[in-house]
Formats: sequence, C-alpha cells, structure tokens
Amino acid sequence: MNYDDLIPAEELCLRYKVEQQFVSSLNDSGIIQLVTVKETDYIPCDHLASFEKMIRLHRELEINLAGLEAVHHLLNKIDKLQQDNLELKNRLGLYE
Amino acid sequence: MKASLKKEKPIREYLKPENRILIMEFIDYYKLLELDRSATKADIKKAYRKLARKYHPDLNPNDKAAQARFQQINEAHEVLSDPEKRKKYDEYGKDWQHAEQFEQAKKQRAASGGFGGGFGGGEQSYSYSGNFDDDTFSDFFEQMFGGRARAEGAHRGRHFKGQDFNAELQLRLSEVYESRKHTLTVNGKNIRLTIPAGVENGQTIKIKGHGGPGIQGGPKGDLYITFNILNDTNFRREKEHLYSSEEISLSTAALGGEIRVKTFNGEVKLKVKPGTQNGTKVKLKGKGFPKYKTEGQFGDLIVTYNIQIPKVLSEKQKELFQELKKTGL
Repeated sequence: MNYDDLIPAEELCLRYKVEQQFVSSLNDSGIIQLVTVKETDYIPCDHLASFEKMIRLHRELEINLAGLEAVHHLLNKIDKLQQDNLELKNRLGLYE
Repeated sequence: MKASLKKEKPIREYLKPENRILIMEFIDYYKLLELDRSATKADIKKAYRKLARKYHPDLNPNDKAAQARFQQINEAHEVLSDPEKRKKYDEYGKDWQHAEQFEQAKKQRAASGGFGGGFGGGEQSYSYSGNFDDDTFSDFFEQMFGGRARAEGAHRGRHFKGQDFNAELQLRLSEVYESRKHTLTVNGKNIRLTIPAGVENGQTIKIKGHGGPGIQGGPKGDLYITFNILNDTNFRREKEHLYSSEEISLSTAALGGEIRVKTFNGEVKLKVKPGTQNGTKVKLKGKGFPKYKTEGQFGDLIVTYNIQIPKVLSEKQKELFQELKKTGL
C-alpha cells in the first residue's frame, strides 16, 4: 500500500463540504473504499473521481444515497456494456 | 468564434471573407426546458431537474449529444431562474442582438434628457452560436449576459475540479505499432505526449491536468483522448493478435514446401506440411501486435491458408490430372 496515494477523508469532507456520514455511506455501499490507518480514514486517490461524481449527482440532481448506489451500479453496467460493444465492433471489423 | 466589424463599412466590404458576418441563432430557453412563458420559478426548477436527470454527463458517459444538451439546459436554467436575466431575455427576445444598443440608447437618453443617442458610434458585434464547448456557455448567452455570468451561478463557494475535456485522435494502425511521440493542440495549447504501442481502437487514455481550469481554486480537469485507429494494412487485428491469409498452390498444399509470409515488420519463411487442407491456420508466435504497455511482448500472427484451385489448365496439366484421376485422386 502506497500511503502517498491516500487522502484523509476528514480533509475531503471539509474541502467538499460534505458530512463524514456521506463518506461512510459511500463506503458502506461499495462506491468508494476507505482505508483505515491508525484509526484515521483515508480515500485512495483513484477513488476520488467516483467520490466527486457522487457529490455532483447528490447536489446537482438531489439524488439520495440509495439512488446513488443504484446509479453507481447501473453506470458500471453501462461501462461494461460499452466495453463489450467496442470489443464486438472491433471484432466485427475483422469480417467487413 | 467572434467577428466584429465597424458599422460604416460599405456593403461590399462585408462580403470579403475576413469580414463575413456569422448569423447567430436565437435560442428559445423556454422551448429547451419544455415550458411556456408564464412558467413560475417552481415550474422552471422542476423542468430543469427533470431534464438534468435525463442528460447529466455523469449519467450519460461518452455521450457527446447528451453533454451538449445538458449544457443547453443548464444555460436555459441559468437565465430563466434568475429574475433579472429572465426579464432581459423576455424583454428583448429575438432582438437580443440589439440588447446592448437598446441599453446604451436608454442610458444616453436618460443622461441627455432627450432622444439623441440612438444606435450611433461604437462597434457592432456578431457571433456564431450552437457551438457548446466543454466549458463555456453559448455565444448567445455570453452576448446577452457576459462571459462571467456562469461563475455567478450555482457553483458559488465550491471548490471543484475543472471540467474534463474529451478529444478524439485518429491514427493509422501502422502508427501504433511502436510507441511514438505526438503533439496535440487542445484549446490552443500544444501537448506533447507519447502514445504507447499497442493502443486499441476506441481506447481512451487520461492525461491528468490538461482539462478545464478548476472552479474556485479547485484542481484542473483531465483530458481524455479516445483513439480512432484506421487499419492501413492487410492484417486484421484483434487486441494483440494479427490475422492474415496466404494463398498457396495446390501442389504445395499436397506435396508440402516453403513459402514466404508477410509479417508486420518483414517477411518470414514458412514450411508448409504435405497434405495441408484449405483453411488451415498457422500460428506465428510473437509476430503479432505489441501488447499495450507491456514492453517487448507481442501477440501472435495467425495465417490462414487458402489453397488455389487452378481455373485454367494447360494441356500438359490436364494430362497430369487425368493420370492422377486414374490413381483415384
């Protein structure tokens, strides 16, 4: 584990003006994965984009936590389908 | 995208390419939000929420049309939810182009106490709309409310990462066989980057910090480049593997022999086994395409043999085939 890539959750809560509870809920639903080091919660850098996306959806579209969980799940599905679609398109190109 | 010109120029001057006027379309913000002009503040909010949930870029990944629509909806909401902006928009409507002149004329009339200012003096500016950049509102919006109006909007007081930019880069397959340096121009800035060998068609890579500026001191956004790779070779590619077909003569297929096969970086000799069947596939290990971000590792080249059946035979060949026929072949 590279500790340089961890951002204290408390600092992010202050910066993004969100409750610690919001971060914990995102962690509970598996949208982000908190890392605890010496009783302090950290968010890995590569989870920051997901974290910011959820804040935007929560604030701009007033989506609650249950909704965010569903959105996250469906976005992952879309991503997987888009990847599969691209792979299939590339394969199809072989026969054109 | 803005062109400006002096009023006193003769008409023929406007016809010169450098002075050509670009007509800006009127944007009906009410229509965009599917509202009528008597809509209340609550109606506007409700309509905005409904459409924003439909077209929000976070909910429509890789959908440029949705992103553009979202920006239009955002812009419409920005104007119609602000009583002052809405008043100006309602007042001038389709004559928005003259809004500034009307305002100036009003001010001049008020200052001189009479009707003297009119539309004289100064420059008249025209601009083109419909081009929604990742980070800007339409020219129509900027013309009416100024470019800074957005910063006064809903994001006040938040520190957010800047807008991520998306770009498409078209390369030939032969160009991504080796890692190469490319210079891209994004929003007027030159970015020099190395495209790793083996990048795939449709693949997107992230260039950190080359997106839009952060909001209220937030970090810069990222630049996402999607590759559109055109195949300029006779090989078919599937990830790191290459496919080709090779024609072999009937006698080589029957008796075996040696052929020369083209690979991506030259020719190799290949032994054909006696009795080779049509459609036989031969795998040339490590002669395929480079594996993405895996230095020195290559996929395979799969060669399919197509056995050529002669369409025309010479007399001698016919005789020989007759002989073969007699043997039961």
